[in-house]
Amino acid sequence: MRWSALALLALTSLAPPTESASVPVVQRGRDTDVAPAAADPGAPAAAVVTPLAGPAFDDDAALPAHADDIADYTLRATLDPEAHTVHGEGTITWRNTSTQPARELWLHLYLNAFKNERSAFFRERVGGRGSAPPEDWGWIDVRKLVLRAGDAAPVDVWPTAELHRPGDDDETDARVPLPREIAPGEAVQLDVTFDDKLPIVVERTGYRGHYHLVGQWFPKVARLEPDGTWAHFPFHHLAEFYADYGTYDVTLDVPQAYTLGATGPLVEWHVADGRRIERHLQGDVHDFAWTAWDAWQTARENIDGVEVTLLYPRGFTRMAQRELATLRFALPYYSAHYGRYPYEVLTVVHPQQDAAESGGMEYPTFITSGSSWMTPPGLLAPEIVTIHEMGHQWFYGLVGTNELAWPFLDEGLNQFAEQDGMGKWRGEGSGLDLAGLTVSDAAVDAVGGNLGVHDEPVAQPANAFTTGANYGGLVYARTASVMETLRRVYGDEPVMRALGRYARRFRFEHPGPDQLIAVFEEVLGARVAATLRTALFEKGWVDYVVDGVWANPATRAAGMFDRDGQRQKVEHDDRAAREWDNAVLVRRRGTLSFPVDVDLILADGTTRHEHWDGEGESRRFSWHGTSAVRAAVVDPLDHVMVDLNLENNRGAAEGRGGSAGSTLERATYWMQLALEAVSP
Amino acid sequence: MSEAALRVHTVDDDADSSRQKDELVLVTTPAVRARRHPRAIAAMWAWQTVLALLASGPAAGLARAAWRGDVDGDSPLWAPGGHALLDWLWHDAHGLRATVNAAEIVLALGAVAGLVPMTAMMIALTYATRDRKAAGFVRSVAGGLRAFPSMLLLLVLAGLLQGLVVGTGALLAYLVEGWAHAGMGEARAQQVGGVVIVLFLGMGSAVGVIHDLARAAVIRFKVKGLRAFALGARTFRLSPVSLWWSWAWRTLASIAPVLAAAAVAGRLGGRGGFGLAFLFVLHQSVVVARVALRTSWLARALRGVDGALRRVRS
Repeated sequence: MRWSALALLALTSLAPPTESASVPVVQRGRDTDVAPAAADPGAPAAAVVTPLAGPAFDDDAALPAHADDIADYTLRATLDPEAHTVHGEGTITWRNTSTQPARELWLHLYLNAFKNERSAFFRERVGGRGSAPPEDWGWIDVRKLVLRAGDAAPVDVWPTAELHRPGDDDETDARVPLPREIAPGEAVQLDVTFDDKLPIVVERTGYRGHYHLVGQWFPKVARLEPDGTWAHFPFHHLAEFYADYGTYDVTLDVPQAYTLGATGPLVEWHVADGRRIERHLQGDVHDFAWTAWDAWQTARENIDGVEVTLLYPRGFTRMAQRELATLRFALPYYSAHYGRYPYEVLTVVHPQQDAAESGGMEYPTFITSGSSWMTPPGLLAPEIVTIHEMGHQWFYGLVGTNELAWPFLDEGLNQFAEQDGMGKWRGEGSGLDLAGLTVSDAAVDAVGGNLGVHDEPVAQPANAFTTGANYGGLVYARTASVMETLRRVYGDEPVMRALGRYARRFRFEHPGPDQLIAVFEEVLGARVAATLRTALFEKGWVDYVVDGVWANPATRAAGMFDRDGQRQKVEHDDRAAREWDNAVLVRRRGTLSFPVDVDLILADGTTRHEHWDGEGESRRFSWHGTSAVRAAVVDPLDHVMVDLNLENNRGAAEGRGGSAGSTLERATYWMQLALEAVSP
Repeated sequence: MSEAALRVHTVDDDADSSRQKDELVLVTTPAVRARRHPRAIAAMWAWQTVLALLASGPAAGLARAAWRGDVDGDSPLWAPGGHALLDWLWHDAHGLRATVNAAEIVLALGAVAGLVPMTAMMIALTYATRDRKAAGFVRSVAGGLRAFPSMLLLLVLAGLLQGLVVGTGALLAYLVEGWAHAGMGEARAQQVGGVVIVLFLGMGSAVGVIHDLARAAVIRFKVKGLRAFALGARTFRLSPVSLWWSWAWRTLASIAPVLAAAAVAGRLGGRGGFGLAFLFVLHQSVVVARVALRTSWLARALRGVDGALRRVRS
């Protein structure tokens, strides 16, 4: 999901955030270890496996062809677009891949987040989209859940299900006791029937008029971790999802006039009795979403071997073209860097602005973009949202991290991939390129990422963040800025190789932070790994400062000296005009360290380029020369994007600073135009 | 309004008069041309520039203080990518907010006080001494000060009318958009709403044209307040298309140099040295061009009220 509020905040507000809110607490189920950080935010993932990715994963040769099918869904969904209901029925095949027998199942019923204001989702509101209750509530009613296991007689286990915990009205996380244990390796079948009532569009899903975006709409089996604990959780306000891979075979039944878009390729379709019936089949994914609307316009294009379908409203043709142009760059670029896109199709849905809460979201092979039809070409919002959601095909889709426990692993890494891709495609104007002013996507993240850096760590569960602003600033922007800093400091090639190796090595798997850091250590060394861990887990920060610039005439030392038994008075000599003792003091404040360049600018117009490894708290550059030092700049090429304050990166000998001509010129011109506008 | 009230003296009328040669009299209608008064245009530009400097000075001072350590001053703020700029906007948010507030006050006061130099410029356009010399700075400004109450009244009146027209348009556009949304979709509905807005903006601009004609009447005929507005409205009614288009093409033309300058500025950079000097010249050329176009329109308005008078007489 794109956290667009962050960019908006950075671009439109000059005020530091003062928002505060109650701290949501990770809810631990009886058997879960899904989110360790609420009790111990800095703790690493519970089960750490040394990744040992190795250079074999620097290209696609070692990519796994398929995921391990654990949860397969064969469903039929029938939409009533007037009542905004979906009747669903079908079969879930689930296999216990843990080492422990399963005595219960946990089902996610995410749509119940919108059933009432006592859901965890609405109780935890801390700002951002989804904060206002929907104008029309939504819910899911499971009618039956018949267990078929081995030779035992089928039994409906739903009547014994525990829909919510005592004292908690949230109904998004249901526990289903089983009549008998499901042994490790054993597969069972669940015949399920359910009815959805969609809400008016809220937080990724719902309807608006005849428009329907149907996400998180079916009972979904939580992931059983290898150690036998269930990674189940309610639908938290700031959190997203986590599930096993499987095959989704979904038949959609909508009125004939409706156009459908869905996860996976269309394998069958026909029209009968005024209804359009389409079957979509996709393996190696962990979710399924779809849209139906009788006003969709369609554009199709094969990009890099992928059949791209763009669904957009009337009047949004230019937005569709911009989004296709984005994908023409992004699909091959991401495939080259993070491993080949393995699916045949990609569907991009561009909702109208009145359904904007369903925009900017990712599902496997199915993403939603957004922005107004009148977005000017210089404001790259459609491009950014499109590339971001497409990037989630890798960081969320193909690398199936736990989005609740470690949101930075999907949103943060994907945000970095976004700003990297946008930067390489559109250069310095990758965020805004308007009227002679360019703002890069990376710059927005750099400043946005600094906002809450002292408040709480990046690496913590989504629902542990104290505010939506901090969640957006830290999970998205801060992670991206840390990665961008590594890229700029240590080089594009090794950092992109490390991230690519991680993405390939853990394709169709569920890695945690330790795996990411281990791969970076493998490629870039222990210092980078330590820096990454500090930045992510320990609220790491850094501020480079030029703290002093001194140029003293190199005269002979004057004063009274006792020499050869006599007291002599020594005067300055005349070297003052020719030689100087120069010194520059550079400090590193904070807990992160990066090697940096230091430029020492001399009065004769030359510049001495120095390098500081960034170790230690300060470094003094002293030298004797024929030219006085005039000024110094630490990190002159702006490599350290996480630098907390750029203003103190420069220092001048007293009285030698520059002017503010550039600002005065522009501000005066803008004021002249403003005056003309307001003068009658 | 009686014709006697609209009786005006012109240079030609009084060519043989024995009055003092430096007495101000109206120039002939065809002689009311902006291009004949480059100094008036320059003075108007200077007025705007002084106000703009007052408004922008605090922000520039803040930038200078923040970036005093750089030998290139604040030029990193305007580097491509905007990292330093965003960082500055964040770190100096409170100071910048104060400078923005100060600029708003300067602009608001400047907008009202600007009636004086604008009136002075119109006097310079339309009056000359008997020996055909320019009205002169002091006498033009003095005239501007004398006409200030009338001009302020016209400003309030026109502002209220324009607000009413545009507000009505916004409300109608909102209703039309809502009505069309379900059938036409969001984009088309907003476009239809936009057409409604544009129509009402057109009407609002017509009020603006009448406003300027009323100002011209104040200058040309020394009438006041509501009488001036009525004369402006009557003038507009006599040839609405011609007058509105005279205003509109100049307004549209004044947008072009802004867009062109923005495109050039992006390539130029303008962060010091020659680039910054060139950017300054470019930007000020844009401002001068816009002032000249505005002056040209006001001259046309002055001619317009004269023309209306002739038609009334005939």
